[in-house]
Amino acid sequence: MRFSRRDLLVWGAGAAAGLVVTPVPWKILDDTSKWSQNWPWIPQPARVPVEFKQSACTLCPNGCGLRVRMAAGWAVGVAGLSTHSVSRGALCPLGFGAHQLNWQPQRLRAVRHRGSASSWSEAQAAFAKARSEGPIVVIDGYPGRAASFVLQSFAEKQSGNYRVVQGAETRALKPYEEWTGIPAASLGYDLENTTTILSFGTPLLDGWGVPGRFTRLWSERAAGTSDPQLRLIQVESSFSRTASKAWQWIHIREGSDSALASGLARVLVEQNLVPAHGPIPAMSLAEAASQTGLTVQAIADMARMLIAKTPTLAIAPDNNPSIAALNVLLGSVGTRGGIVRRTQSQQAYASADEIPNARAILIDSSVPWDFAPQSDAEVFRFAAWDGGPTKVDWLLPAPGFLEELTDVPTAPTASVETYGIAPSLVKPVSEVQSAAQFVAGVDSSSSSPEKVIHTRCEELYRKRSGAIVSKDRTPVSQLASAQKLEEALQNGAVWMDEPASSVKLRCELKEWPTNGPQPGPGNWTSEWAAPVLPPLASKLYIESDLRESLHRGNA
Amino acid sequence: MASSVLTDSRWIARGEERTSLPRFLLWLSPWALLLALGVYAAGLCLYYGLNQTNMDNRFAFGLWIFLDLGVIALGAGAFFTGFLVYILKRAELKPILNTAVVVGFICYSGAVAILMIDVGQPLRAWFTFWHPNTHSMLTEVTFCISCYLLVLSLEYIPILFRNRQLRKIPSFFIFEHQLHKLVPVLAAVGTLLSFFHQGSLGGLYGVLRGRPFAFRTGFLIWPSTFFLFILSAIASGPSFLMLVTATVEKVTGRRLVPQEVFGRLAFISGLLLAIYVAAKSVDTLVWLNVTSPSAGFAPWQYYSHKPFGTPILFAEIVVFGLLPASLLLFRKTAEHRGLLLTAAAMACCGILLNRFVLTVQTLALPTLPFDEFLSYVPSWQEVASFGGVIAYGVIVYSLSYRYLPLFGSKGETTHVSGN
Amino acid sequence: MSAARYGMVIDLDRCTGCGSCMVACASENNVPALPQATARTGLTPILVREVSNGKQGADHREAFFPIMCMHCEHDTPCVKVCPQQAVEVDKATGIVMQMPQRCLGCRYCMTACPYHARYYNWWDPSWPKGMEKSLNPGVAVRMRGVVEKCNLCHARLHSAMEKAAAAGKREIDQADYVPACVEACPTGAIHFGNLADANDPVTKESRSPESFRLLAKLGTEPKLYYKSKEAWVRAMAEPNTAPTSEAQHG
Repeated sequence: MRFSRRDLLVWGAGAAAGLVVTPVPWKILDDTSKWSQNWPWIPQPARVPVEFKQSACTLCPNGCGLRVRMAAGWAVGVAGLSTHSVSRGALCPLGFGAHQLNWQPQRLRAVRHRGSASSWSEAQAAFAKARSEGPIVVIDGYPGRAASFVLQSFAEKQSGNYRVVQGAETRALKPYEEWTGIPAASLGYDLENTTTILSFGTPLLDGWGVPGRFTRLWSERAAGTSDPQLRLIQVESSFSRTASKAWQWIHIREGSDSALASGLARVLVEQNLVPAHGPIPAMSLAEAASQTGLTVQAIADMARMLIAKTPTLAIAPDNNPSIAALNVLLGSVGTRGGIVRRTQSQQAYASADEIPNARAILIDSSVPWDFAPQSDAEVFRFAAWDGGPTKVDWLLPAPGFLEELTDVPTAPTASVETYGIAPSLVKPVSEVQSAAQFVAGVDSSSSSPEKVIHTRCEELYRKRSGAIVSKDRTPVSQLASAQKLEEALQNGAVWMDEPASSVKLRCELKEWPTNGPQPGPGNWTSEWAAPVLPPLASKLYIESDLRESLHRGNA
Repeated sequence: MASSVLTDSRWIARGEERTSLPRFLLWLSPWALLLALGVYAAGLCLYYGLNQTNMDNRFAFGLWIFLDLGVIALGAGAFFTGFLVYILKRAELKPILNTAVVVGFICYSGAVAILMIDVGQPLRAWFTFWHPNTHSMLTEVTFCISCYLLVLSLEYIPILFRNRQLRKIPSFFIFEHQLHKLVPVLAAVGTLLSFFHQGSLGGLYGVLRGRPFAFRTGFLIWPSTFFLFILSAIASGPSFLMLVTATVEKVTGRRLVPQEVFGRLAFISGLLLAIYVAAKSVDTLVWLNVTSPSAGFAPWQYYSHKPFGTPILFAEIVVFGLLPASLLLFRKTAEHRGLLLTAAAMACCGILLNRFVLTVQTLALPTLPFDEFLSYVPSWQEVASFGGVIAYGVIVYSLSYRYLPLFGSKGETTHVSGN
Repeated sequence: MSAARYGMVIDLDRCTGCGSCMVACASENNVPALPQATARTGLTPILVREVSNGKQGADHREAFFPIMCMHCEHDTPCVKVCPQQAVEVDKATGIVMQMPQRCLGCRYCMTACPYHARYYNWWDPSWPKGMEKSLNPGVAVRMRGVVEKCNLCHARLHSAMEKAAAAGKREIDQADYVPACVEACPTGAIHFGNLADANDPVTKESRSPESFRLLAKLGTEPKLYYKSKEAWVRAMAEPNTAPTSEAQHG
């Protein structure tokens, strides 16, 4: 049969027409569109049911309550726990991305000894050997935890060399230690009862203390009105976020905070604006004016503003004796709305600024990465994330975010003693050990954080003071058992002590303090202990101009 | 001429003289290189994504959109010449018809090629046809440009089939002959399609309520930019044709079209450009005094960012608008080739400037009060792709000129004046 | 469910510019944090912008504007221009919905949006190995070459609807539908509600003289309101009342 070109054309046209009526071309179109909608290399989360669990954030000593969205055993979202009486449902911007931290490329996953791979058994052997050869110093960056108790007990067996790296928020309370005899770790700010706050550059609305505490308080009492119940006066050389929202922004020259405090003190005393008659700073008012860039009249007016609505509380971002002395003159130490003592504990910590000679130094993962001990000792450094080149001998992978059971001691700036538990919610991504677990492995007489938490709950139950606060407030005396108390804490409740007693603290300030060197301004991640920021924090400083970038591991 | 081993004379129309093949290939080689570079750059963009460009969230459209709009405006000579010849029966423009079709084909196929790279998911391009949005100017543009490219292809194929060797194939010869009967219909369809898509390209920006710099009110659903774009396109199309033809005449060293063709094109271009300038001036005044202020934008705000000051507006309307319009309308201009081409080039520049202002300046200007004025510089991939399109155009035109009777051939009966 | 018009009033006197909303939003919506992204190519469905009153010295004042999709109701610019109807205004909720699976990536909608609320995926999303386990199961991950934007945490609305349906109810419990940014804000500056409900406190707030909308004169009827006691902040609503952009950055 002859098949001509014409036949080809006719058959071709017919086939084309017929094909259109079949599902074939439409199915192909449909498939290509589906294929182009779901590229195989795009990760898609598995469709699994989600549940919500409670814990607390331990990436800084403020311990905000967390409501964690869990799917298939992993944390897939973090939000504040609205029933948490300390953090009041708020978190800092970094907290919202914390669940991704555990998979950062900088995550430490294996033991390293002087740059080469090693193992836990080798590390333990080396540590046991070091322990037998000389004193061990233990450095803790987040004191007060159950793990801290284990480390401290261990250190005390090694000639009591337990040292603490304290953050700026605790350091700011240091001056009162000398004048009241109460350790800084037992003091706090009674913000809820104060009326005027004089903040010397302290980022009260931008990450200071427990973020939710002051932001909620300020939102309720001060936001959006020109005559607020809570007057926030922000003294700062630059226009910070807190300054932008403060009731007043007092613009002073950089580094002149102490001069202003001195000037205000002088006015308060000389013009009999306060009951106290002294001590008066050596600096004259004119000198204070010249250093701050304010006029003498402005300083005098400011002093009047301070006593217009009392109590007045001065807050410094770091250790500043002049500002602390101003509080003494204002009568704000040991009074309602001022610096208060929250616990009868006399727990004082030795600073890690000076480390005695030792055979080995054990650094907990809560200590900031850039802490570098000046010592020839063998350093065992626990960390969950690698912060960059380091001179330590042993790098030991510690549990990361929500990977270990821990407890939450009182936040450094709190006015009431609190206690919480942060359960472990996720499996560690590799073989990790905390410093406390490590020493327990070497010293079998060491307790464990779990046991210490048990004991603490039992003690709290026995004391019968305070209450368990969650959605409701239940006095401890009404709880059935210590176990019930512990369970409540495991489920996101917080134990809160009775408010600070109104017994005045003995406060002796004989002469105006001379100031030490002024600490530099903090950055927006000051209290964040880990050397890396959560990946999504890049939205704030890389993918937008909202915040300035920082030199951290993943910046 | 010595008969070299390398020759393609059987492909060249009898009686026509073209440069030797080696020389021709030499002419093509830099353009081929540019095209290769362009294809490579486009390949990078398709493979890695549009992060290869310097476009960003604020400059979502960049060099390529400017290229698209500009090239389509310049290619308007294709449909307009067809309209003039077949609908308005202006037979004196017939000599330029074929070259207009080729230029149009190059412009539109180049634009479509660039558009395929400019989208994030080219495989989904057919979604516009499947889920069209009747309110969107871009839907209209997509449909019309696709259809018009088809029309241009149908107009180009007959020219292609008039190649000396190709017309020996009977089916091609018959096909070309049959299609030739269709040409007036194609011209009418092409005019209709072009009217709409040239307008819609203007409408793309004119409907942007969120960009008061570009937003215009107009007639019913069509903003004034719809009509202004049509006017400017048909004004620049003939000028661009003049430039192309004059360039080819210069390069080949021969007179290809009668002088009166240039004269006519100059007059048409000048007249339309003058009407356009008048319309644009009125439109600008309305926009400055009514449309923009009612959207909350004081006009001086648009021109307070360097380098987009009022000189740009002046340049667009006067220097590259009124001035070339006057020159082109002045009868003596056509007699001086240099002056004529300068005026034509200025007319084309004016239209390109208008497209630039509407694509780039619109995006550079702040809309939110706390926005900044932004700048954008295209990446090498974008520039190389742009260059590739130009190279493609030169190559296609060169091949068309060499092997096809673009300007009619001596000693051949042509069907140019058929029907 | 009766038709709602979800909207917000953002109290600018309470916004401290901390950025918690930005991080919470990115986490909820599985937005990647790509190291090669910049401030102009980054993906931030909610973006907090810093503005100032243009004055120097002691009179200098600043405020923060969280910007996200305004869910415009009238002549919605992006809906009108999308060539393949990949965006539409959901009649039941008033949310301007984006379908990344249909998006061609032509970016015309990005040109149309005066609020710059739309973001393009310039790269394929990727996470370090293992981090994909931290992705939110309720939200599909988008691919490169498509546009996305705030959709008022539609996955959370979906969960609220499922919860209501499981309990046999026809209306959701408003407390179950809280977008991530609203939940995250430490000062409670973002108020979310149903503008179709006259009794909703957000509706009442939107009618206060201190409330305003950005670029209201464009006539797109955004459903996102801002509120401030400060006149200079309210003047930011329109460009011809605000300090010049040079003064913002001078």
